Amino acid sequence: MTMAEAKKGQICAIRKIRGEARFLSRITAIGLTPGCPVEILRSDKRQPILLYSRDTMIALSRREGEKIMLEAVK
Amino acid sequence: MSCEYCDDAKFNKTGSGRAKTNARVIALLGQPNSGKSTLFNTLTGGHQHVGNWPGKTVEKKEGEFQHKGKRYIAADLPGSYSLSAGSEEEIVTRDYIAGGEADVVCILADASQLERSLYMLADFAPLNVPAILLLNMMDVAKDKGITVDAKLLEERLGIPALPFVASNPKDYGAFYAAIENAGRMIKTPPALPDTAEKSDVLASADIKFKWIENLLDGAVKKTQESAAAFSRFDRIATSRVMGKFLAIGIGIAGLIAAMIPLFAIGGAATLAPSLLGPPAAAFLLGVGFSPFLTSLIVGSVLNTFVFAIEMAAFVFGITFVFSFLEDIGYMARASFVFDSVMSKLGLQGKAIMPFFVSLGCTIGGAAGTRIIDTWGQRTLAMALMWAVPCAAILSVVPVLANIFFGSGTLFIMLGIFAVMVVHMMITAKVFGRSLVPEEGRTGMIMELPPYHKPKWGLLFKTMLLRSTDIFLRAYKVVFIITIVFFCLTWTADGNVENSIIYKVGRFIDPVSRFFGLGWQLFMAFIAAAFAKEAVLGVLSALYLGSGNIFETAVSKSTETAENFGAVLAEAISKPEALAFLFAMSFTVPCVNAMASTYLENRSMKWTLRIAGYYMVTALFLSLVVFRVSSLFF
Repeated sequence: MTMAEAKKGQICAIRKIRGEARFLSRITAIGLTPGCPVEILRSDKRQPILLYSRDTMIALSRREGEKIMLEAVK
Repeated sequence: MSCEYCDDAKFNKTGSGRAKTNARVIALLGQPNSGKSTLFNTLTGGHQHVGNWPGKTVEKKEGEFQHKGKRYIAADLPGSYSLSAGSEEEIVTRDYIAGGEADVVCILADASQLERSLYMLADFAPLNVPAILLLNMMDVAKDKGITVDAKLLEERLGIPALPFVASNPKDYGAFYAAIENAGRMIKTPPALPDTAEKSDVLASADIKFKWIENLLDGAVKKTQESAAAFSRFDRIATSRVMGKFLAIGIGIAGLIAAMIPLFAIGGAATLAPSLLGPPAAAFLLGVGFSPFLTSLIVGSVLNTFVFAIEMAAFVFGITFVFSFLEDIGYMARASFVFDSVMSKLGLQGKAIMPFFVSLGCTIGGAAGTRIIDTWGQRTLAMALMWAVPCAAILSVVPVLANIFFGSGTLFIMLGIFAVMVVHMMITAKVFGRSLVPEEGRTGMIMELPPYHKPKWGLLFKTMLLRSTDIFLRAYKVVFIITIVFFCLTWTADGNVENSIIYKVGRFIDPVSRFFGLGWQLFMAFIAAAFAKEAVLGVLSALYLGSGNIFETAVSKSTETAENFGAVLAEAISKPEALAFLFAMSFTVPCVNAMASTYLENRSMKWTLRIAGYYMVTALFLSLVVFRVSSLFF
C-alpha cells in the first residue's frame, strides 16, 4: 500500500521510499525513513496527506505520497 | 563581494571585506520552526542588512551586535531541513560554512523533538567547523514531559550544548559565553560514505538517524508517551472545505485588524497637508520662493510625508498580524489547505494570505509576502498580486462603468475578475521559470509546528523597527516620483494646456489611439500608476478643465465636476471606455505599491521588469478589448 492509499487513522511503518535523489534527501531530512512508524491523520481528495511521525505533524503532497510504501504494524 | 540587489552600502562591507575587520562571525543554522529567526532578531535588533546572495535568488541576512566591547556578525543562513538536498539555499549555506566564512556555527534544535531536529546537526557534523548546539524550546519540551541531559550530549558531541529558550532574555548570558569560548568541533561525526550517490541517500539518512539515536540514547527521557496531538482546532484548520473558509476568514480579519494603525496614525497624517499646507506656502512665498518652488515643496513634501506615514502604518499592521499568525504556528495550516491551488502558480499554500490582503491594498499584500519562505517565491507572489484589483480599483471602476454601461457594470466587474485569473496564470508562467525554477518545485513536504504562545515584546519591537525602515525608504522613493509627476503636470496659470503632460499627450495621441485610448484617457492611464483614485479627478481635469491634475492625483481626490458623467458619455465611445477600464485595472499598481514591492524584494531590476510587463500587457489588453468590443457597440 502506498501512503496515498492509506486511510485516515491507520498506523503503519514505512517499508520503502522510491524516487530521485533530491526527493529522497528532502523526505529523509524531515524524518521519514524506511522502518519509521507513521500515523495517518488526514487523507482527503485533492489535499496533501497529513501524518504524524517522530513527534511531528507532517504534510506531504499526494504525488509524493505515492512514492512511499507502507506496511501495517501489528 | 558585489551585491546585485541590495542598495545598502553598509551591507557590502560585511561581505568578504569583513575579513579585514575584527568582528567574529556567528552563523546560525536550524530547521524551520527551530527558533532561528527569534534568536537572530533578538541578537541583532535593528542592525540588520538584508540582501541577496550575489547572482542568486536566495536571501542573505546578516546583522551586527556587540557584547563586552567585542563586535559580532550574525549570519542567518538559508536552507530548510538539511544541507544535502541540493537546493540553491542549501548550496549557498554549505559553501558558506565549508568556505570558512564563519568563526562559529550555531546550530539550533527543537528540544521537544530532538530526534528529528538534530538532522541538521548530523548533516553539518562532517564539515569540521567549530560549533555550538542550542537546545531551544526547553520550556515546550518540559511541558511535553521531555527531559534532556545537555551535559551528556555535550560530552558525547565534544561541543557546547546549551539548554535554551530563544524568547527568554535570561538564557543569553550562557549563549554569549559559549560563542566567546567556542572553538571545538564535533568529536565523532556520522561515518558517511564518501559519495552521496542516488542509491546512498537512504543509506546515509539511515546512518545519520542511527548516529542521532546513539547520541540521544539515555540523554532524552519521556515521562509521558506522546500521542499524535491532533487537536479539535487542527481538525477544522486542516479540513478541505472548513479549513479554507477559516483561512479566508482569518485573512480578511487580519486585513481589518491591520487597518487599525492605518486609521489611527494615517488618519492624523492626512490632516497635515490641509493644516500645514497654507501657512507653509505663505511662509515660503513670503521669504521669496517662486510660486513654482513653493507649490512643489508644499505639494510634494507634505503629500509624500502622508503617503509614507500611511504606508508605514499599514505595513506595520499587516506584518504584525501575519508575523503573529506565523509565530503561533497557524500559517502552516493555511499552507496545507491551499497547497493544491497555489502550487499551480508555483507558490506555497500560505502565499494565499497576502493575496486576500491585496484585495484591500497591494501595499499590504506586498508586505504580507514576508511570510513566504524564499525570495523567488516572494517576488513571484508580488508579481501576481499586482493583477488583483485593489479597493481603489474596485471603487473607481464601477463609478466609471456606470456612466457608460449602466446595469452592465456587474458584467464588467465579473470580467475583471475573470481576466485577473487568466492574467495570474500567464504571469506565473512568464516569471515563474526564472523566479521559481522547475527543479525547485517539489511537492509539499512541510512540518506543521505545534501552536506556540506569541512573543509579543519581540514581535512588537521587530515590527516597529521594520516600519520605521519602510517609512524612511518609502519617503525617498515616493518623493522622487512625486517630483517627476509634478514637473510633468505643472502650469504657471493653471491651464492644463500649458503642461508638459498635455503636450506629450497630444503628440502621442495617434499612438495611444492604436491601443484604443484617446490621449486624455491615456493620461488618466498614466495617472492610474500614481493613484487609482486619481483617474476620476484627472479625467475631470482633462475633459472639463476643472482642477489641477497634480493636486487631484496626490490628494487622491475623487471629486469631479457636476456634469462629469454627461460630458464623459458624450466624449468617449463605449469601446474606448471599456478598453480604458481594463487598462487601468491591469496596469501597474499605484506608486506606493510599486515602492512597497521594491522594498520587499530589494531588486530594482525585478521591480522594473515586472512594472514594464504590466504596462505593456495593460496596453495590449486595452487594444484587444477595444478591437473586439468595437465589433459589438
